[in-house]
Amino acid sequence: MVATIVVLLISAVVYYFFINNALIRQLDKSLIAEETEINEYVKTNHQLPDPEDSKDEQEQYAEVTVKGKRNFKSVLIANKKKREVYYRQLEFPVAVSGKYYMAVVRKSQEETEHLVRLILKITLLIVLLLLITLYLVNRFLLSRLWQPFYNTLQQLQKFNIASGKNIHPEPTNTTEFRELNNAVSDMTQKAVNDYEEIKRFTENASHEIQTPLAIIASKLELLNQTNLDENQSKYINSIADTTSRLSKLNQSLILLTKIDNRQFSQSGKINLAKVIETHLSNFEELLHAKNIILTKHLPGEFVVEMNETLADVLILNLITNAIKHNEENGSIYLELNDSILKIMNTGKPPETSAESYFERFKKGSPKSESLGLGLSIVKKICDVYNFKISYNFHDGKHSVVINF
Amino acid sequence: MKLLIIEDEKELMNSIVTYLQGQKYLCETANDFKTAIDKIEEFDYDCIILDITLPDGNGLNILKQLKTYKKNDGVLIISAKNSLDDKITGLTSGADDYLAKPFHLSELGARIAAIIRRKNFDGNNILKAGDLVIDTLAKTVQINNQSIDLTRKEYQLLLYFASNKNRVISKTAIAEHLWGDNMEGNFDFIYTHIKNLRKKLTEACNHDYIKSVYGMGYKFSAE
Repeated sequence: MVATIVVLLISAVVYYFFINNALIRQLDKSLIAEETEINEYVKTNHQLPDPEDSKDEQEQYAEVTVKGKRNFKSVLIANKKKREVYYRQLEFPVAVSGKYYMAVVRKSQEETEHLVRLILKITLLIVLLLLITLYLVNRFLLSRLWQPFYNTLQQLQKFNIASGKNIHPEPTNTTEFRELNNAVSDMTQKAVNDYEEIKRFTENASHEIQTPLAIIASKLELLNQTNLDENQSKYINSIADTTSRLSKLNQSLILLTKIDNRQFSQSGKINLAKVIETHLSNFEELLHAKNIILTKHLPGEFVVEMNETLADVLILNLITNAIKHNEENGSIYLELNDSILKIMNTGKPPETSAESYFERFKKGSPKSESLGLGLSIVKKICDVYNFKISYNFHDGKHSVVINF
Repeated sequence: MKLLIIEDEKELMNSIVTYLQGQKYLCETANDFKTAIDKIEEFDYDCIILDITLPDGNGLNILKQLKTYKKNDGVLIISAKNSLDDKITGLTSGADDYLAKPFHLSELGARIAAIIRRKNFDGNNILKAGDLVIDTLAKTVQINNQSIDLTRKEYQLLLYFASNKNRVISKTAIAEHLWGDNMEGNFDFIYTHIKNLRKKLTEACNHDYIKSVYGMGYKFSAE
């Protein structure tokens, strides 16, 4: 469109110049005719003719000492009506009976200017009409032609693999669009199928592993009801605890995989302050029992757009981590403001570096029961929503900060 | 109280039955979808423990059947899947509760007791254990008509014990019941809670309802 406009404007300008020149050439020819007439007259009559002075034409003669040069010029001169108008003039030398004169013949360019202006106006009008038609055609005709393409494009943009819905492009007569639609349809169908399969696999894996673990745990619990001596009960409970750890590890891994597979894609407006309050009140007595002092600065509302389950898991993991790695008579500090969540707890310094704190399977402290997956889950959830999370240990306190 | 346990894993089924029979429940079993349907057609149960991943049919369809027959049996879904969709579908299809595998048998016991209490419209919200009288609606506890003041967690703990009378309950099971799955590690803080609860109970009457079983956990007994 822009290229068309530029070309049309350039050609309009060029057009103007050519027409103008052509018309001036026309004028010049008529001036030459006058010149010839005057020369003829002088030849025949051996004297200068009466100078013409009409509205459109002027003739002047001036005696000169030296033979002048013949030339064409456009001049701005007052006409008979005392208005300043452009004249095309031809100056040429004339010899009459041994005396030299400069003859000037002028013709008004008013007419030609009128003509040029008219031509220019018509041309511009045509150009304008052309542009409008071009625009209208572009908007209505072409956009309708491209409608199937835009339709498919829109569907692609809205495509959500987790929804299980395939793309059904509108049927079209255009070959290229039909081919595009078929390719898109096939691809999305395959993607949806693969995704469903992965989901099913994840769920089935959980099922397969949890059931044997459940059986083991149940038998141990029944054993507990029988008469066991000290050693027997010690071993039984050690097995029970380990089985429990195994089961939790499995659940955490499944959760991480599900997050990776975008199985928690549904988001809503979650009031994190409320989630935190709920979990904190649940742990109130526990904190009291461990003599942990809780300081909290929470607003009434702190809304974040994320999945409800993940929000719950995030907060729960952060809080239980702060409690688990705390010490008797320790403290927990929780702050939620602007766009950050800060949670600090007292505890032994970590054995690993601050950078690798969130890596899976890293243990942060001598409490060997903790496998560190809780924080990996926290990090993963933050990654999904692009929340920045950082950790450091300072002044005897572990501190985790999340930037939403 | 009559229970129906629908579970395809035989070993797990046996564990559940053994535990619940010890709690004086009458237990019937079904290993697959068809048997389950036959049983619920013929009998009424106070609570049905339903594993929804059965080999020959979706357990949720059993829920639908119960609705069709307009039955009032309580339903506790047990499932290895632990997916939120599953849980929501189960509860909206008419189940009373959802418990993910693996679970503590004592947790199962507590949930079943809760469902039966809720389902029993004769106003039987009273749980009696020895001289203890627990009103689960009002959430109050009395011994010999004397009210005992318990914190929220102490109440939950007592209810848990009373729903699993004469069973040894591990510290892990207690911790998970009170604070959820995430509390792994050292459970010594449980000791403080138990100590406080015991103190309050023994102050009201001379009987020590909660006994420690060294190395294993705790046992609630009314004798």
